[in-house]
Amino acid sequence: MKSISKSVNKTLNISRYPEIPPGTKLIKKGYVFVMLLIVGRAIEAASKVDQSVKKIFGDLPERFTFYLGVAPGGPYMVIGKDKQGNVKYLGWNLYGRKIDLGLDIKNLESAFKVFTFQESTAQAFAYDRFIVEGNLPQALAVVRVIDIVEIHLLPKVIARLAVKRYPKWSELSPVKKHLNRVRIYLKSFSPGLIKVIYRNL
Amino acid sequence: MFMPDFYDFCSRAKTISGENALEKIPGHLAGLNANRPLIITDKGVEDAGLIDMVRDAMGDELQIGPVYNNIPVDSDYKVVDEIAGIYSRESCDSILAVGGGSVIDTAKGVNIVVSLGGGSLLDYQGAGKVRKRLNPLAILPTTTGTGSEMTLVAVIADPDRHVKMGFVSYFLLPDLAVLDPRLTKTLPPFLTAATAMDALSHACESYYCMEKNPLSDAFALRAIRAISENLLHVVKNPDDTQARLELANASTMAGVAFSNSMVGMVHNIGHTIGAICHVPHGNCMSILMPYGMEYNLHRRAGYIGELLFALGGPETYAQTRKNERPEKVIALVRRLNEDLHDATDGKHPRFLKEIYNPQGEQAIPKSMLSEIARNIMADGARMYNPEELLPDDARMVLEHAWEGTPLDRRKIKKGGKK
Repeated sequence: MKSISKSVNKTLNISRYPEIPPGTKLIKKGYVFVMLLIVGRAIEAASKVDQSVKKIFGDLPERFTFYLGVAPGGPYMVIGKDKQGNVKYLGWNLYGRKIDLGLDIKNLESAFKVFTFQESTAQAFAYDRFIVEGNLPQALAVVRVIDIVEIHLLPKVIARLAVKRYPKWSELSPVKKHLNRVRIYLKSFSPGLIKVIYRNL
Repeated sequence: MFMPDFYDFCSRAKTISGENALEKIPGHLAGLNANRPLIITDKGVEDAGLIDMVRDAMGDELQIGPVYNNIPVDSDYKVVDEIAGIYSRESCDSILAVGGGSVIDTAKGVNIVVSLGGGSLLDYQGAGKVRKRLNPLAILPTTTGTGSEMTLVAVIADPDRHVKMGFVSYFLLPDLAVLDPRLTKTLPPFLTAATAMDALSHACESYYCMEKNPLSDAFALRAIRAISENLLHVVKNPDDTQARLELANASTMAGVAFSNSMVGMVHNIGHTIGAICHVPHGNCMSILMPYGMEYNLHRRAGYIGELLFALGGPETYAQTRKNERPEKVIALVRRLNEDLHDATDGKHPRFLKEIYNPQGEQAIPKSMLSEIARNIMADGARMYNPEELLPDDARMVLEHAWEGTPLDRRKIKKGGKK
């Protein structure tokens, strides 16, 4: 018996068998990480600039915190309302936070499709690419916020791929849209960005 | 032919259909190691003698537990919590749900609480919370519409917040669905009409909404054909058990279809009306269905047109030009509503203003339309509608559906990728 086990060990070299970590697509992961950071900061900015986003967050409970991320293991973006009702991008660390709502995209490939606008958020839901942990109406509210933010952030030709319906001039005047876009970009890339990155490191 | 980039499909509830299907239940429950079921039903079903019939059919083979019959029109989480307490106190090991949508959804809610523990159903809100196999559940539908016996969803109201909560999990699929023509024999013609139109809305929406897939399509088309061939006949000839069995099967097939393809704005608006005005779900569905098709026509004309073969039959399909088929489908659904209205002596409503509550008052006053429109954002079906639906759009649709006028197509906002 002993000799058999010895020969198996020798043949397969079990004692020195290396642990094989799962493959990581660093470029795609990095891209999704950056997109989540930009969208997260833009949501914070839009909650101050856009009335619809402000109202949606106003209807959510006090100290409401949610994340949007990629399963398993991230990257994530965490957004929360503070005591005063201000919406903040809290970074990418989930640890030590009380999360009310989690939106996980099932894998990196699906997340990449969503964030390269090959698929709209609604289409991704239809293809069952999301896992919702928490209250469904709140998840729908968050998805609506993401849609609005994408309309503000992206040029029309790309935003039309990301949302079901791009608003007409009568719903969102070009002046207001561009003004909001500038304000959102300025707020997103303000010194607060460095502060939040520093806190999450 | 449409083939999505990705889809998943699951329909694993064992179905028994036909004469004497009820007599097979004890054997199937024994196979699941269950012999003391709690019966959940409503007063109407019990008064119609269906519970006695079910008991007789079981004979002495089961130790049937208590019968809970106080289910409201809309399933309510407080009732779920109350029944869960009874289930535990009476040491039941399974559930028999005998009734329509509210009863079935309540039974699914009870099964979550009794199987997973916890004090209240509210602990399990949201997708992904139910992740373990639940206790044995057998569903005996007494209407021909909900299709809940085949769905992984339970819609249960929170009366305090005026919202309907959706519980979604593959573990909510029952172990057994029993289709016996005796179960729907006593269903009055106007309820047969409303519930079968609900099934038709499941099949149609699953066919043209965003999560459509080839397997669901097959179930949807067969269900539509069965409903269009049998519904008016059953309403006029309620004793035709064979036709009733066809409708019961159609409801189940539509349930399979929409459970795997989801539904859109017809259900989005209908759920919201139900949560606020407490009107029968089937009535809302039958009224809103043609509006849902009109609203999505610019995105889904091809798929809506394909429904004509099942809905109008091969001759009508062949006689209608391809570009006229979608409009013909909408016209046929409207005509079916008119025919059902006539066949039920006006009890089947054609417009929202024709729905009355038991006190004889208008159930949906025009003044409520704005509130309904504002609340559509909280319902998950909105996500699967091909065209975006925001409160202003819903308000426009509701006004037309209330008055009974076709949509003003110029008011439909369009934009985005088709």
